[in-house]
Amino acid sequence: MAAPTQGEDSDDGMDEFMEKFKTQKYHNAFNESNWEEEFEKVPMFMKTAPENIDPEKHPDLACIQHIIHDDDRTPEEKARSLKDEGNEYFKEKKYKKAVVSYTEGLKTSCVNPELNAVLYTNRAAAHFHLGNMRSALNDATAAKKLKPDHNKAIIRGAQCLLELRNYAGALQWCDEGLKLFPTDKKLQELRATADKQKREADRDARKAKVKAKKQQNEKEALLAAIKERGIKLLKTEKPPHRASDSEDEDRDEDTSRALADLQLDGISSQEATGARVYMDEQGVLHWPVMFLYPEHSQTDFISAFSENASFIDHLAVMFGEELPPWDIDQKYQPQNLQMFFEDPEKGNLYQVDLQESLLRVLQHQRCSVKAGTPSFIVLVSESPFSRQFLSGKKVQRLKLLK
Amino acid sequence: MLSEDEAKDLLSFLTLEMRADVKGQATGYILGLTGNRDGCRYLQSKPDFLKALVTLTSDPSIAIVKDCFHALINLSADETLHQPLVKETEILSKLIPKLQDPEFVFSDRICTILSNLSRHEQTCRDVFKALQELNVGLDRLVEIFCTEGFNKKASLHYLAPLLSNLTQLPEARHFILDKDRCVIQRLLPFTQYEESITRRGGVVGTLRNCCFDYVHHEWLLSDAVDILPFLLLPLAGPEELSEEENEGLPVDLQYLPEDKRREEDPDIRKMLLETLMLLTATKVGRQILKSKNVYPIMREFHKWEKDPHVISACEKLVQALIGDEPEVGMENLMEVEIPKDVEEKLQELDAKEQEQMEKDKQELEKSQNESPEGLER
Repeated sequence: MAAPTQGEDSDDGMDEFMEKFKTQKYHNAFNESNWEEEFEKVPMFMKTAPENIDPEKHPDLACIQHIIHDDDRTPEEKARSLKDEGNEYFKEKKYKKAVVSYTEGLKTSCVNPELNAVLYTNRAAAHFHLGNMRSALNDATAAKKLKPDHNKAIIRGAQCLLELRNYAGALQWCDEGLKLFPTDKKLQELRATADKQKREADRDARKAKVKAKKQQNEKEALLAAIKERGIKLLKTEKPPHRASDSEDEDRDEDTSRALADLQLDGISSQEATGARVYMDEQGVLHWPVMFLYPEHSQTDFISAFSENASFIDHLAVMFGEELPPWDIDQKYQPQNLQMFFEDPEKGNLYQVDLQESLLRVLQHQRCSVKAGTPSFIVLVSESPFSRQFLSGKKVQRLKLLK
Repeated sequence: MLSEDEAKDLLSFLTLEMRADVKGQATGYILGLTGNRDGCRYLQSKPDFLKALVTLTSDPSIAIVKDCFHALINLSADETLHQPLVKETEILSKLIPKLQDPEFVFSDRICTILSNLSRHEQTCRDVFKALQELNVGLDRLVEIFCTEGFNKKASLHYLAPLLSNLTQLPEARHFILDKDRCVIQRLLPFTQYEESITRRGGVVGTLRNCCFDYVHHEWLLSDAVDILPFLLLPLAGPEELSEEENEGLPVDLQYLPEDKRREEDPDIRKMLLETLMLLTATKVGRQILKSKNVYPIMREFHKWEKDPHVISACEKLVQALIGDEPEVGMENLMEVEIPKDVEEKLQELDAKEQEQMEKDKQELEKSQNESPEGLER
């Protein structure tokens, strides 16, 4: 049964194939206009070989070339031939192809260490021009291992180390080379460059360290000033394991440096301006402060609110000559305004005496600074919104010790 | 001292073939002689003993070799023995080649002997010539010196004073200052070599000697060598300079850390200042030192320094840095011919200054002596 079926399939296929020629024209056939051109591509009929054999254009010729390379000749002859091929590509700045040729040369099992050293060195050069510094360095190292007095490999290796900013390594290679070639100008030049760049890098590291130290000192002084004033800081995102909402509660006096850094995150302001609390030369703190106007969903940001200034000082300026455009009813007059801060733990509101200084308010035991930025709610007293906003909330008047 | 017969007997014990115990006692006796001036003077006229000591540096017994090297170090410290050792023994041809052996245990002693023998010009020239003839030229010497851990059993620190001594010779300076090679650049970092005051002192001495050749000042101060930071760094401390002052300094001196410490040895500090002083002898040198902001370093150094001789050297340098330029034709201070009477007056002033310093020192000592009495009272 199988045999007849197979026969039938075969017949059907053939019939189908023959059927195609009744309806479709045969493609890729030689025609009167292009037959000479097509013949030229067939290796057997080729009159002259192209200078560059592109495997995509001349796959047949590439295969023949490969066969030629593989047959008859000694590994050393093959390696030398591939080195020359790579060198041609290198001259034409075709570095990727050069790498391929040199790589093939290294695979030939050639036992001539000098020739292999040249192949490694040349491949290193090609990699170097492609920006592959680590590959180039590996090749230069391999070349140096095969032929320790190979000047070009030493120079190439030092150049790679210089590009990789390994200045100590570059100096070491240069000194090694200068031991063999004491008057080589290129090596001396490279050594001077590596030496100079190393010293500049060392200086930059010292400068960065001095700067970081200075910043650290400023941070510590700032944190000490805040703690000294009894002001509490809240972090923006609290880790789950932290029990206390107030960072400074029950903390040892001598805070370690790491903890100081951790705490100082609480000072980071989320404002786009990047404003943050700082201490001036007289030791006075200046805070970035937010005023919130929930009636109109508006805010004001004061980038440097001196701790000794009072709230009324700022309100008199902010709501002075020109009222904000969103105050349609023109109710936001300084004398009509009330100011509150919220107890983050219980949600209670504390009303602030506008005559008080910022410092006095921040020192209140229920006041905590969030995200390094004190924020206050501003309302118009006895206004309908105010009554509605405050209803259901526990409001206390701030009692400050004199 | 030994009679003729006793000397003859003793000499017969100092041979490679002699029994070790007898030989050891004999070399121990000679070592004892070298420990004082009379013994050295006696041996000065006994070349046979000197030859025997040199020969026995190859003895099978380590203890005997050690004694012989010790004796030769003592002898080479005495200037009057330099000629007999160099001319009448094979000390140079026997010891110098061993420097190249990375496993030779007594290389440090050889370095010490060579640095002693090269202290004065005549035998220094002999040492230099021997180094050349034995294929341990300056090239090789510098290479051995700069290769950290070249000898696994010896530090070779005393190669530094040897190099310093050799650079009293023009031909040695010529090699160190060869623009076609990279020699002096490799010595520079050793001005801050913490592990050895000997290395630091030797390299600083070498640099100072090279700076006597004023025609090289511009090259030494250029980027090709950049000698200045290596002279200033040992004199720079942890003091904080302003941003402006920092940026004006050579790169290596910018933003030094709080734990930066100055060179601890006053003699080396003085040599560094003398080297800087030499560089101010030429107009181009003065211009470069001023433009590189040397003054703030000297200002802070002067506040810190306690040694009166070093303070004096520092003040002279500062005077050169902030003083007016000399008249046209007098720019190169080392070429100016000083009239005889002026020269005599300058020497007289120097002598008076020395006298005053000695007086100050004595008064200082006197006040220190008085303090215990005060405590008793």
